[in-house]
Amino acid sequence: MTSPADLPLSDEDQAVLDRLAEVYARLDPAPADLNARVSFAVALAGVDAEVARLSEQLAVGSGARSSERTRTITFDADSRTVMITIADQADGLVRLDGWLAPGAELRVELRMPEPAQPRNVIADAAGRFAFDGVPHGIAQLLVHPPAGDAAPRVVTPAFSL
Amino acid sequence: MIGVAVGGGKTGTDQAASDRAARLGACLLRARDGETAALNEIISELNPLLWHVARGEGLGAEEAADVVQTSWLELLRRLHEIRSPQALTSWLVTATRREAWRVRELSRRQAADGTARLESAPDPDPGPGELLLADERDQILWRHVQRLPERCRQLLRIVAHVPRPDYAAVASAMAMPVGSIGPTRGRCLAKLREMLQADPGWSA
Repeated sequence: MTSPADLPLSDEDQAVLDRLAEVYARLDPAPADLNARVSFAVALAGVDAEVARLSEQLAVGSGARSSERTRTITFDADSRTVMITIADQADGLVRLDGWLAPGAELRVELRMPEPAQPRNVIADAAGRFAFDGVPHGIAQLLVHPPAGDAAPRVVTPAFSL
Repeated sequence: MIGVAVGGGKTGTDQAASDRAARLGACLLRARDGETAALNEIISELNPLLWHVARGEGLGAEEAADVVQTSWLELLRRLHEIRSPQALTSWLVTATRREAWRVRELSRRQAADGTARLESAPDPDPGPGELLLADERDQILWRHVQRLPERCRQLLRIVAHVPRPDYAAVASAMAMPVGSIGPTRGRCLAKLREMLQADPGWSA
């Protein structure tokens, strides 16, 4: 049965809605890189990946120089929390210090859009890890379960460095 | 029966809508088989809608972009359960609204804590947007949309971006009974049409 919601609109109403969609596209467009960012983020995710949601983003204050910015981002997944601090380095690159809770010696992968190669480090037993000399841009973290463990990978959304 | 037109034969719009549904349906099947290009096509097709859903919930631009991204990540875990483009649209709209509420609550709590958010406070609806609109009819339309009640504005913002065959699915995702989005949409549109018709600049 067709519900009223499925009935076609009058041509006039349809024209108003189409024009309204264009007005919104002009006044409040989605960011130009939204599609690219989403495509990048989902490329390695999948049925077996647990999503770590952004739960907090804070400016920690500036470093010694006013041009240095530091911020922390916390991502919460069901199985683990991933917290990172992103700090500008003097050479124009950034340093990323991270912490997994609960802590475990797990492989942490930092993905960047191609052609950059993914980088891998192993967190220490307390869950600490770091990536040095990372270029600005978008990035994503994956926390891999130990080999042979059926636990899901944890993936973060893509974030800006 | 204002706002609910009685459909006769298939119009060009209907044809385009069913072509689009068929194309999205095919993409969905290919995406479920792991084809990246098909998934990317779905993403660019539905992102504008999801963006306006998140913004319509009062999120700032950065937050809205994060929310949209998180909904897609969550979708991948459920993709194998989703059978139709309508179900896909509905699932994503629901997930985006839910995630938007979560993020809005977090912002609110952090603001109450006095914690410094890096993000700016949520942007309100695009404000004096008329300055950005060159076309006079666009300006008139926008001026009258701004005069609609909040609920109508929110609904029309989303409805304007919903592919036609997905209205029913979006109605349920908006947690409204299916029978009610039509009349509500119809009432909001009727109100808008009334104002537009009374505006000499529009009917001229």
